[in-house]
Amino acid sequence: MQPRQLAAQILNFALVLSTAFMLWKGLSVVTDSSSPIVVVLSGSMEPAFQRGDLLFLWNRGMDTQVGEIVVYNVRGKDIPIVHRVVRRFGGGDSPLHLLTKGDNNAADDTELYARGQSYLDRSQDVVGSVVGYVPFVGYVTILLSEYPWLKKVMLGFMALTVVMQRE
Amino acid sequence: MAESKISPYSLNDLKNTTDDAMGNYLRGLKFKQDNSKLDFRLAVGYTSVIIAGALFAADYKLGWEATKGWTAYAVAAYALLNATFTYWMWGVEKGLVFEGTKNGKKVTLASKTKKHDPTYYLTVTTRASSSSANSSTRQLKAPFTTWFTADGYFVAQPFQKWLAGSVNAIGEEDVKNASVDEKVLAPSPNGAAMATSVDTPTSSSKRNKKKG
Repeated sequence: MQPRQLAAQILNFALVLSTAFMLWKGLSVVTDSSSPIVVVLSGSMEPAFQRGDLLFLWNRGMDTQVGEIVVYNVRGKDIPIVHRVVRRFGGGDSPLHLLTKGDNNAADDTELYARGQSYLDRSQDVVGSVVGYVPFVGYVTILLSEYPWLKKVMLGFMALTVVMQRE
Repeated sequence: MAESKISPYSLNDLKNTTDDAMGNYLRGLKFKQDNSKLDFRLAVGYTSVIIAGALFAADYKLGWEATKGWTAYAVAAYALLNATFTYWMWGVEKGLVFEGTKNGKKVTLASKTKKHDPTYYLTVTTRASSSSANSSTRQLKAPFTTWFTADGYFVAQPFQKWLAGSVNAIGEEDVKNASVDEKVLAPSPNGAAMATSVDTPTSSSKRNKKKG
């Protein structure tokens, strides 16, 4: 095979990956959210959301109301949590603070928050509000995160198929 | 080139094998290959991949909040480069397989296939490279059975004869293949007589049609 042909085929594979990544980043820019699509990992929001549901987030409406479902990161941990807003304090000129609770949980989230934190800061902690969802399709990512070796298998398989055959 | 067997039912395999053989054939005839169009595409493509890679690294190290502003520019640049890339493939290269010069003649060959139609469509542009205005474009087509056996082996000779016999600029560089074709064609315009003098029986009638 000609070296240029090889370069072109490697490029095709690289473009598949980079385009997927850039679409994701483009969505991040549009929604102003670091993670515009998340997968529900726990059953704490049943029956609204099940494990494996795919959620679409929007982070441009900063005046979050009670009843909205938001995704937030606990300070110091990088685990996004999807829960409903049950109280709000401040807003307007002062920073907006929120208290959240899982529909399926007995207590509100004060226990989940970082030590010494009893509310969420809207602009710092919240990744976005849920504006849409697709049931179940995110289950693949749950499998991938629970069985990390699956990721390597999948990546290797993708690389092989793209390099071996031309589209 | 005939060492590997392909599935004669896979249009992709037929086309790719033929494209590869055409490049090898013309390089064998000492055409000096001009890769500038492919090089441009590779440059644009790899630049966009590098942008995406850099953004990925920055995002990984610095996080979203720090890279937010740059991300918008990177995404815009990537979209622009990708649009250029796509335009270049469909609007400029148009299936370009080989571009090369020999003895002042420039030959450009672009191939395509149509869905569920086992025919090789070839667009041939030839020009005397000194005066770029003086160029001519021709559309050729031939069924893949002309140079593939029924079990999927590529046979070089009928393919080279087809090319040398149909394109003057190539025929002049490969007189043997071109002249055999002419000789055969002259006395017998009907395909049946031709079959004996050309290696693959399937090839004859179609090639005749082209010439006539």
